[in-house]
Amino acid sequence: MTLVEKILAKKAGRKVVRPDEIVEVSVDLAMIHDALGAHTIAKFRELGIEKVWDPTRIVVVLDHYVPNKDIDTAKKCLNIKKFVIEQGIENYYEVGKGGIAHQVLVEKGHVLPGTTLVGVDSHTTTSGVVGAFATGIGVDEMAVVFKTGRLWERVPGTIRINVEGKLVPPIMSKDLMLFILKRLGVSGALFKSLQYTGSTISQMSIAGRMVLTNMAIESGATNGIIEPDQKLVDFLRARTDHSLEVIQSDRDAEYAETLEFQADDIKEPMVAVPPKPSNAVGVTEVEGTRIDQAFIGSCTNGRLEDLRIAAGILKGRKADKFTKVIVIPASQEVLKAALAEGLIAIFVEAGAVVGPPTCGPCMEAHMGILGPGEVCISTANRNFQGRVGDVTAKIYLASPATVAASALKGEISDPREFFREA
Amino acid sequence: MELKGQVWKFGKDVDTDELFAGRFIMGGDETSQSQYQEFIARSGLSDVGHRENIPRDFLTKVAKGDIIVAEENFGIGSSRQQAAETLKFKGVQAVVADSIHRIFFRNFWNLGCPAIDLPGISAEFETGHEIVINLRQGTIKNLNTGKEFEFHLIIPAWFIDMVEAGGLIPYHKSLQNVEGKNKSAK
Repeated sequence: MTLVEKILAKKAGRKVVRPDEIVEVSVDLAMIHDALGAHTIAKFRELGIEKVWDPTRIVVVLDHYVPNKDIDTAKKCLNIKKFVIEQGIENYYEVGKGGIAHQVLVEKGHVLPGTTLVGVDSHTTTSGVVGAFATGIGVDEMAVVFKTGRLWERVPGTIRINVEGKLVPPIMSKDLMLFILKRLGVSGALFKSLQYTGSTISQMSIAGRMVLTNMAIESGATNGIIEPDQKLVDFLRARTDHSLEVIQSDRDAEYAETLEFQADDIKEPMVAVPPKPSNAVGVTEVEGTRIDQAFIGSCTNGRLEDLRIAAGILKGRKADKFTKVIVIPASQEVLKAALAEGLIAIFVEAGAVVGPPTCGPCMEAHMGILGPGEVCISTANRNFQGRVGDVTAKIYLASPATVAASALKGEISDPREFFREA
Repeated sequence: MELKGQVWKFGKDVDTDELFAGRFIMGGDETSQSQYQEFIARSGLSDVGHRENIPRDFLTKVAKGDIIVAEENFGIGSSRQQAAETLKFKGVQAVVADSIHRIFFRNFWNLGCPAIDLPGISAEFETGHEIVINLRQGTIKNLNTGKEFEFHLIIPAWFIDMVEAGGLIPYHKSLQNVEGKNKSAK
């Protein structure tokens, strides 16, 4: 069996599971955030149950509306806080204590290898980076998980994405992911799992790998997953006291498909042209496209290595006079580290606004909303029409390096022109 | 269980931002069902005039009991249940598509509304056609062309009972009632 099949079999109490079989698994961890948490709680109340199945297995992170932007968001967050206190949920990240849920779940060591995680958010797939089965569900289903601690799942067949070779900076894991999506398309992995393997993945940092599991959902996949290695174990040991049970795919595992990629084939940084994340082209094809906003952040690319490469490009330079440059670290931990390294000062000097850790203009939640006809280049994960503000606005997706370079010129730009090795 | 309705033909890759824009997610008072339903119904598909994959008159003419037949990858994107809810509250009773994204698929069923994936089905329907779906038999019929199609869903065994109960939450409440009665009988 593949890694994901082995996890689902174990959690279903079965010896073997097969792709497209329906199984019922135990849930090790369930996450709600402010955007859909109050809805989940209302549904849970509707069930007429008083206590959640296990408060130690629930993580609550306020991340979309940080700090609250209006009465509606404040009210819903208050409802969530009341519920957290009433249920005795320890893992609660108030405004200013956590950051974006997907980042917090991994960096605080909540998600462990070989476990199951569900969240009321499609990018819950991010946590697959630790070798867990992590996926998104709706609020009615989360209410039932809160009651039962169980979830049904259609066992996803595994598509193996094997990548060999070295990515040469400033080409980043984001460029690789856009390159992969170009081949897979936005429906190439429906009801399938993406498992990333190969030397490129082994060499990649945990932060870089998180881009791949985060955007697995963009191919329609149920989840994204990477087999735990020593690098991951070291990463987690610094973050949790729990014992780590490392599961790998069997040697004779059957894959639905194996797609081979060579890092060398990515000749230039990639940009996904609106309105689909799979519309990847080389940056030189869209170079010179005027932008109104450049956003560096989100659960896809708001980590320290992302801020480092962007700061390296912006250092000692000024952003374009007419371009709104927004930098939002993915978590308080990332913000603290970026402050210590002097990265935040570089962004401010360059003329960027630095926001508190939150989802920001990845979606139409809070801050950085686009007006009619505006063009944004973003490190986030989706560029659907109307995703961030007016329906006529356009979103291009790219790496932090490409977004930083574009911020300087006020047009989509090739980061290789500005990139300096640290 | 048989569902009969008028068809609305949608294109491919209908995404959740399109069905329910992010700016409305925090709107609607989830503690008041009637207010919530009204808000969700009103706020969905707000930019439909700009979309190529949804008929322009869908918003003004959709009626209770209508059924969407879409091309591939219906409901790609977010886990926001509002994307499924807005269709239900506007009157859509089922979605049939060449393929359906996992989260939307689950969300729509959980509201008591079948989501049926059958490759190639979209080519057999046009807006205005009459469709009949038999859930237990696994058949779809186009009353205008007389053609019938079979589908095989990959769903839990209890799913159609759940639809008959009105959705996941009512289904679980009915289970609790049964459990409660069993306990009091002892």
